[in-house]
Amino acid sequence: MTDTVIRTESLTKIFEEGKKREVVALDKVSLEIDRGEVFGLLGPNGAGKTTLIRVLIGLLTPTKGKAWVLGRDVTQDIDYIRERVSLLPQEAGIYDRLTARENLVYYGGLYGIPDDDLRARADRLLDTVGLREKEDYQVKGFSGGMKRKVLVARALIIEPEIVFMDEPTTGVDTIGARVVRNVLKKLSSEQKRTIILTTHDLNEVAELCDRVGILNDGNLVAVGKPSELEEQFKAADLEEVFMGLVTGEGVYEQ
Amino acid sequence: MVVRLVRKGPDRKMIWLIKKEVKSLFRSRWLIFGLMVSPLFAWMFEGVFLSFVVAQTSAEPETVYITLDDEGIWGNTLYSAIESEMDTLLIEQLLNVTRSDGENMAANRTLSVWVLIPENFTQELEAANRSTLVVWVNTGNFRATAAAQRIDAFAKQVINEIVIIRDLRVDWYTITPEATYGHSLAVFLVMIVSVMAPSPYVGQSFAGEREKHTLEALLVVPMSRVSILIAKLIAGLALTMFYSVFTVIGILIYNWSIVVRAAGLPPEVMDYYVNLYTVNSSAIPLIFFCQLLILICAISIGIVVSSLARDQATAESINNLILLIPTMMIGILGFTGSILQYGGVFGVFVLSIPFSHAILFLNGVLSGVATPASLLGNVAYMLAFAVVFLIIGAKLFEREAIIA
Repeated sequence: MTDTVIRTESLTKIFEEGKKREVVALDKVSLEIDRGEVFGLLGPNGAGKTTLIRVLIGLLTPTKGKAWVLGRDVTQDIDYIRERVSLLPQEAGIYDRLTARENLVYYGGLYGIPDDDLRARADRLLDTVGLREKEDYQVKGFSGGMKRKVLVARALIIEPEIVFMDEPTTGVDTIGARVVRNVLKKLSSEQKRTIILTTHDLNEVAELCDRVGILNDGNLVAVGKPSELEEQFKAADLEEVFMGLVTGEGVYEQ
Repeated sequence: MVVRLVRKGPDRKMIWLIKKEVKSLFRSRWLIFGLMVSPLFAWMFEGVFLSFVVAQTSAEPETVYITLDDEGIWGNTLYSAIESEMDTLLIEQLLNVTRSDGENMAANRTLSVWVLIPENFTQELEAANRSTLVVWVNTGNFRATAAAQRIDAFAKQVINEIVIIRDLRVDWYTITPEATYGHSLAVFLVMIVSVMAPSPYVGQSFAGEREKHTLEALLVVPMSRVSILIAKLIAGLALTMFYSVFTVIGILIYNWSIVVRAAGLPPEVMDYYVNLYTVNSSAIPLIFFCQLLILICAISIGIVVSSLARDQATAESINNLILLIPTMMIGILGFTGSILQYGGVFGVFVLSIPFSHAILFLNGVLSGVATPASLLGNVAYMLAFAVVFLIIGAKLFEREAIIA
């Protein structure tokens, strides 16, 4: 029996720009994601990926429609949800005057995790992302990739049931990206965490994601396993599916 | 939330956030350096300035113009007494002028001190035991003001000591109403420095978090935004406490500089200047408290500005502009006399600025003329102002656009 942890029904988000102009960022998006899934959200810039994540985590209020995370309505029980989910934002910043360890511990502390537990988790995560030797250095001296690893570790310090990761490997070098991907794989396979991942790297999607959803102009235009989508759209690979749905090239022209 | 916070105190998450804010701040060496140096510099400047004033007014003689229009005995007695005590009164020259010459010099602003013993001086004194001596002073001139103060005290001593029940009134007129000195400058310095002090912290803690994209991750933690706001406010207050401690150190250095400068003077003159210019140590807790109120008001304004600004530099610029203009305005008005002197719409506007109440509070404390009711009124206004702005700040902080 599947356990649905995220469900949206006709979820719509409209931003008002000035008094007359409206931007439909999400247009009647209906989606279900099961526990333990690695779900890839694909779409060009401005498609609504970040908006969808922000609605699901309570940073934005839906204009219409409904959304439930872990069975709770995001507009009603956001504190319950936030205790159990974690976010790595797209342009996530880091407190660069704190050390790598302090960044992790500080974030975990905001969730009320006991000190001893927090220390043990920080040790484990710093080992996992390969930053144990640099744990007491202020982050301001770190490279972009190292900072991203700290952010990934920070998102996992609370051991969330669901992790929203908005482009987690952007700016990370090849080795660092591999480390991050391995962490995500482990989270999914061993700990059965649900991971919602946005990325522009379709190889990453193919490697990590059980299913993908493709957003274009706020519309969810396709949902399914990569192989199912390739078959459905008679495409050679996921990139061809993506290009066809987003730009009309390839499969749509056929 | 606020009621719960007051009742139960901050929870563990809030304490965690406060600790992080304070830790980050104290690793910002330049910010800390600025917070240490600015109050020290302000008070040391005040000390150097008033040491200069002490030197000018206690050692440098001044030319005094005098008009004796009274032909009676008491006018002549006073005139002779002043003339015979010229050295004691530090009068360089005592120049006789006619009343019309004196009035012309006052109108042309060419005199330092002009003493007018009016024609009915003796007559009024003998009829009612009361009379009036008129002194015109260039209050922008430290030496002139000090000379006038000495003549004021000396004249009362001469007239009132002869017949105890007599009461000499000395009416002062200034030829330069835009300039006074002393505590006005101290109050002004405390005000300017205190108002500007929290700006970097508030800019960094709110607009800076948006700019560096750390705010989004902070806003998804299971804490209400009001809790986050209050935690940041408390961290800001902790920082300002640090600043206030250095203000107290600055005041102590200032007092020391006045005492050292006046040490070479005759004992009675030294006592006079030390009492006049040093900040009474019993007033320091009240100054500390007033500065805390100023800082709370400045932080609350800063939170509103920073919640609207897109980046730290914009927030700091707008914040400085918003804080600096009214502070400069009321500070400069303070040099022309009490800021309570303005009526009508302008008077209401001046009193609507919270820092006006800080000036009234500090002036009242430093000069010792304040009543408990007036001090309480000033404090209540500043607290109410801060609460209103914090509520506005909280509303702005709750907007979706805060992460846009």
